Amino acid sequence: MPINPAVLKVGIDHYLYLSAILFVFGMLGVLMRRNVIVILMSIELMLNAVNISFIAFSRYSDNMNGQVMVFFVMTIAAAEAAVGLALAVTVFKKFREVNIRFFEHLKG
Amino acid sequence: MLTSQDFLFYFLALISVVFGLGVILYRNPIYSALSLVITMISVAFLFGTLDAWFIAGVQLIVYAGAVTVLFVMVLMLFDLKHEMKTFSKGMIGNGIKLATSGVILGMMIVFMWSTYATEPTFKPIAADATSSVEPTRALATSLFTTYLFSFEVIGILLLVIAVGAVTLSRISGGTHHAD
Repeated sequence: MPINPAVLKVGIDHYLYLSAILFVFGMLGVLMRRNVIVILMSIELMLNAVNISFIAFSRYSDNMNGQVMVFFVMTIAAAEAAVGLALAVTVFKKFREVNIRFFEHLKG
Repeated sequence: MLTSQDFLFYFLALISVVFGLGVILYRNPIYSALSLVITMISVAFLFGTLDAWFIAGVQLIVYAGAVTVLFVMVLMLFDLKHEMKTFSKGMIGNGIKLATSGVILGMMIVFMWSTYATEPTFKPIAADATSSVEPTRALATSLFTTYLFSFEVIGILLLVIAVGAVTLSRISGGTHHAD
């Protein structure tokens, strides 16, 4: 069965599909990995996926608010990575391991 | 008829999906970080294909530059070459996680398809805005008028985060032992 070329023509839906796929990859990483650093990377992947849909919607509706939101999301993501890695360093110094199960021992 | 822009999108989408999979599948976290860099760069170019040139530049500098360097430096600090128990255990639990993620992906794609597949094309940008300056100017105007307060609050948040991260990593004597 030949594919209709109109389906392959890139529109907003293709960007949204890509965004959904990347988001689910990030979600799987958060759910299934045990290393805290890789979990933080997966969170960055999810935030990137959301940014793709923000920009695609911004272009689709010819509206700048989506880009402003992506700007803020990037700032927050950088801050979140800094704090998450500081927490990982704290856990590593105590247990010599960055497995997620050691995070229940964090106090004070 | 497919244009070169369509092929560019498919190329970048393929790269970002393959290396996004690499982020969660590599057992060595350094390889995950490098896959993440490539995904970030292709996402930056995807922003470029959507005429968001300023955001593409910020993506390259902040994500592919700063955040990933932070990850790689922390990984070098940890020296985790041989990682045990990469993935969580339990066939049933992992099966449930995979199934849930698949169902969510399917629901998202069906929703997007039913909502946007009828009229998916982007409007061409105005002829006088062929350079990358005009969308960037519109972004800056929006950022410094409508969203000025949020912008300032983000600045304060970054200051707080910087102090907080330093404090957190100094809790038991910094990265080097005091003795």
